Amino acid sequence: MQIEMSRRKFLQGTVAMSVVGGTTISATNLFASNDTHDKKLTITTKTGAAKEVKNIATLCEMCVNKCAAIARVEDGVVTKLDPNPMFPKSKNMLCPRGNAGIQALYDPDRLKYPLIRIGEKGEGKFKRVSWDEAYEAILNGTDKFPGVAKILDEEKDNRSTFLFCAGEGMAEHTFKTLFSAFGSANWLNHSSICLQTVASAYGVTLGAYPQADLDNAEYIIMAGANRAEAIVTPDTMDAFKRTKGRGAKLICIDPRFTNTAAKADKWLAINPGTDLAFVLALTYVVLSEELYNKTYVAENFNGFDEYKKSVIDNQYTPEWAEKITNIKAEDIYQIARDFMAYAPKAVYYPGRRSTFSNNDFQLRRAMAIFQGLGGGIDTKGGLIFGKRLELGAHEGLEPIYARAEARAVDSSESHKGHSGYADCAVVTDGGSWIGWRNRFLEDRMPYKVRGMFCYKHNPMMNMPNTKKTAQMLKKMELVVAIDTMPSDTVMYADVVLPECTYLERTDPVNTFGGVEPSIAQRNKVVDPMFETKPIIDIMRGLTEKISKPLFEISKKHDEDLQDELANLGEEEIVSEDGNTTKTAPTMTKEEREAEVYAEFDLTKPFKHSQEEINAHMVESVYGKEAVEALNKNGVFYPNMDKFYKALSVNEYQYYPEKEKAYSVNGGKPKTPSQKVECNLANLAKKGVDPMPIWKEEYLFNVPEGKFKLLTGRHAQFTQSGTANNIVLRDLMPENYIWINKRIAKERGIAFGDRVEVLSKTGSVTIKAYPTEKIAPNQVFFIHGFGAESEALTWAYKNGGNDNTVIEDIIESVYGAASMHETNVEIRKV
Amino acid sequence: MARYGMALDYKNCINCKACEVACKEENGILMGADKHRIWVGVKEIEGEYPFLSIVSSSFEPSQCQHCDDAPCQEVCPTNATYYDENGVVRVNAEKCILCSYCMNACPYDARYVDDRTMTVDKCNFCSDTRLARGETTTACQNTCPTKVRTFGDLDDPNSEISELLRTREHFSLKSHLGTKPKLFYLT
Repeated sequence: MQIEMSRRKFLQGTVAMSVVGGTTISATNLFASNDTHDKKLTITTKTGAAKEVKNIATLCEMCVNKCAAIARVEDGVVTKLDPNPMFPKSKNMLCPRGNAGIQALYDPDRLKYPLIRIGEKGEGKFKRVSWDEAYEAILNGTDKFPGVAKILDEEKDNRSTFLFCAGEGMAEHTFKTLFSAFGSANWLNHSSICLQTVASAYGVTLGAYPQADLDNAEYIIMAGANRAEAIVTPDTMDAFKRTKGRGAKLICIDPRFTNTAAKADKWLAINPGTDLAFVLALTYVVLSEELYNKTYVAENFNGFDEYKKSVIDNQYTPEWAEKITNIKAEDIYQIARDFMAYAPKAVYYPGRRSTFSNNDFQLRRAMAIFQGLGGGIDTKGGLIFGKRLELGAHEGLEPIYARAEARAVDSSESHKGHSGYADCAVVTDGGSWIGWRNRFLEDRMPYKVRGMFCYKHNPMMNMPNTKKTAQMLKKMELVVAIDTMPSDTVMYADVVLPECTYLERTDPVNTFGGVEPSIAQRNKVVDPMFETKPIIDIMRGLTEKISKPLFEISKKHDEDLQDELANLGEEEIVSEDGNTTKTAPTMTKEEREAEVYAEFDLTKPFKHSQEEINAHMVESVYGKEAVEALNKNGVFYPNMDKFYKALSVNEYQYYPEKEKAYSVNGGKPKTPSQKVECNLANLAKKGVDPMPIWKEEYLFNVPEGKFKLLTGRHAQFTQSGTANNIVLRDLMPENYIWINKRIAKERGIAFGDRVEVLSKTGSVTIKAYPTEKIAPNQVFFIHGFGAESEALTWAYKNGGNDNTVIEDIIESVYGAASMHETNVEIRKV
Repeated sequence: MARYGMALDYKNCINCKACEVACKEENGILMGADKHRIWVGVKEIEGEYPFLSIVSSSFEPSQCQHCDDAPCQEVCPTNATYYDENGVVRVNAEKCILCSYCMNACPYDARYVDDRTMTVDKCNFCSDTRLARGETTTACQNTCPTKVRTFGDLDDPNSEISELLRTREHFSLKSHLGTKPKLFYLT
C-alpha cells in the first residue's frame, strides 16, 4: 500500500490525537488539522500490496440515493469505493460523489470530539469535553446556556418546547425515535425545502408518489428535472443509455440549457414558473382532439368531465400558452400528439426536487392527470408503483405526556375566508420549515419553544433567508447539533455531538420498492475514528443521562402521571349496599414507580445495537440466510440466488422479465377510490383550487434591469453536505453565476469577474460565467457553496450561498419554500 | 498476452465525472485540474439563447488512445515509454527524464507531469492496480453510471469488445494520423 504523505500524516495524527486525549487543545484548532487554511490538494490514494485486504459491502451516503458500494479496506484504511453490482436500484455504478466518499471519512476538518460552547452564540468557540460532560451539559446546561431539565421544568413539562429536526438519511429514523419518545410535537425535516409538493400532489392525485419506468419508456418529457446532473438512481442510468434516437425520445423543458438538455432530443426553453401553463395546453390539445385513452379514462378517472370542461372553457390553447411559456404553439401540439401516440409507454417525468414556484402543487397535479390521460399508470414504460419487500417491526416508545402541547402551528379561521393555517393550507409530518422559523422569530408560537435538537441538518445553508435562520439559532436557548462536519449550523450550537461518517457505522436496514424490489443494508466498513459514534450509540448515551431526570420533571407537573403513580394497582370494590371501598394497593411505591417509569424509559428503544435490531427485523421475515446475505453482500431479495446474474461486463439481471413488478394494482391509481382524482372538493374547503387552473399571479415577471434567480443541483456536489470534500472540489473548485453572454458583455462582465448579487434578503459576491445557456433576464448558480464556518478549510467563503439571497416565500398549500420566486440585481465589484 | 482496447458508447456520457474521480482514487493521481489521466471533453455551445445547437454540446470522454503506432513511444529517447505484453502504452518512471518530447508528440494530449516523481504519467488501463489484482475492468468503466466504456481483449473474438466492434459502427480519433488508436467511439 502506498499512501500519499499528507494522508499518512493525517492517519498517524489520528492515533496520536486519541492518545493525548486530555491534554490542552485550544478552542480554535479543535476542528482542523494544524494549518486551517492550507489548501494543498494532495490527498490521494494508490493501492498496492497490503498485508490484509477486506472488501466490505455498504451503502453510500454522499447523497440521498443510497447506492450500493464495496469498500476496499487495506490494513485498516479505506483505499477505494467501487460500485456493488448486486443492488437493483443503483445497478453497478458509483457517481463522482460516491467515489469521493473516502474523503468524507478522512476529512481533516471532521468533528472529532464532543464540544460545548464557551464563546458567544455563533462565534464558533468551543471546548472539547468528554461524552459524559456533553450529555451533562445537555441535561443541566452551563453558565452559558440552560439545559433541558431547567427549560422543561420552567415550561411545566411541555415537551413541545423542544424542536427536533433532521436531514434525510437512513439513520434519520433512529433520531426520530428519540423525538417520539421525548414527546415533542415539533418535528421538521427536509420535505418542505425538498419534494413536499411533488410527493403530495402525486399522492392526492394518483394515490402515491410513483417511480418512472425509464428503462422501457419510449417518450419522456423531463420538465424542471435534470437527471443528467441531479442524479437519481436508477433513473439517470436508465434514461441516458437510450436517448438520441436510441429507443427513448427525450424532451427536456428547462429555462437553462442543462446537461440533460445536452442529452435530449429536443430542448425547449421555458419561462420559469410557467410549466403549469405548458401542461394545461398539452391537456387542452389531448382533450380537444380526443387523443386520450378513452377506455382508461372511463374506468379510472374521477371528475374528468369537470376537468375537461374547465380546461376547454378556460381556453388553455397552445397559442395561449405560447405567450406565457415562450414555447411555440406548434411544439406544444406536437408534444401532446407524440406523447399520446407513444402512451402508455410515455412518461411525463414527476421529478424529485424543491418547490420552485408558488403553483408547484397544481403543476404536479396537472402532470399526474396528463399522465393518466394516456393510461400510462402502473404499467411497463409508464409511471409505476412497484413492489415493496416488508421488513419486521422493532420496538419504539411513545409515552403520553399530558402536559405536551400540539404542534406549534398558527391556525387561522379567517385565512382567506376559510379554516386552515395562517401560512399554508395543509400541515404535514415534515412541517413547513420556513413557516415554522418565521413564526418562531415573530413570536407567533402558541407557546414557547426554547431548544432544539438538530441531526445531520444544516438550516443555515438549506433554506431561504440565511439571516433569519441565524436569528432563529441565536434566539434558541439550547441548540444541540449532531453532525459529522463543523457546518455553519454547528457553529451556532451549544453542544456538538460528533457522529461518525457512514463508512463507520451500520445503519437501519431498509427496503427499496420498485420494479425490482430489494432490501439493502449499510454495513460498517471501519471503526469510528477519534471519539465519534454512530447515532444509535449517541441516542443510547444521551437517554441514559436524561431519561430519569426528565421523568422526575414529568412527575412534578403531570397530574395524570401523579395519579397513576399514587393509585396503580388499586381496585375499587363496590359492595351490595352501594358503598365503595378501595383495596390496599397491591404494589409497593417502588414497584408502582418502576412499572410507570417503564412507559417513559427513553433508553428502551436504544438498548440493542443496530446490528442486532437489523438482524431481528430481517430474520423474522426472511430467515437467517437473509441476515447473512445482507452482512456479506449488503443486498437481499427472495430468489436472488436464482435471479441475479451478470449479463455482460457492465450489466446484470436482477429479476427475469416476467418477475418484474411493472404492474401491482391492475393499472389503476392507488387512491382510495382507485381513480385519478381530477377534482378534489376537500381542497376547496381549505382554500386550494380543487382542479389545476392558471392564474394571472403565476405569470413570469422580471422588472427591467433585474434577473430571476434560479438555483439547482449538479452531479459533483450534494447541497452543502459535500462542500468541504477535497476531491469533489478538485472537479469544481467553486460555484459561478451563469449570466447571459450578451448581457454580461453589455455590463462589462467577463468570465471570472466578481459580481454582487443583491435581493431584498441579502447579497453574495460570486464569480461570473457568461454563457448562452441562460436567458437574458435570468441568472443561476448552484446551491451548497459559500459556507461561513471557518472550521471548513476548503468550503469556507468558497463561492456563494444561494440562500443568502433567495427570499423566504412560502408556497400556499404545504408551506414549502418557493426557490425560484426571487428577483435580484447584479453589479460588478 | 492480450491486446487491450476500449470501446466508448460516448453518447451515453452525461459528463458527471465519476470516471475522473474513480481514476484518481484508484491510481493515486494528484489533485488538480491539470493532473489527470482521463477527462470529459466539452465544447462551448453554439447559438444564442434560446436557439442553441444541442448537437454542438456533446460530451467526449477520453484518455490515452493506446495507439498501436504511438508517436509518444517513437520519440522517447530513453525508451521510458514502451508497449507492455498486452499492447498497453506504459511509462517506466525510472527511465523517464522529463524531456517532454512525448507530451508534444501525443496528438491526443493524453500525458501530464506527476509532480511527485517529476516524470510523465498517463492512463495505463489500470494495469498496475486493478488488472494486477485480477480485475477485468478499469476503474473508469466499472464506476460509470451510464456504462460508456467496455474494456477488453481485441485479439479475443469472444470478448464483448470484439463483438461490439463487429456489430456497432465506430470511429477513432484523428485516424488520419495513422496512430491506430485502440480506443473506439461507438456511434
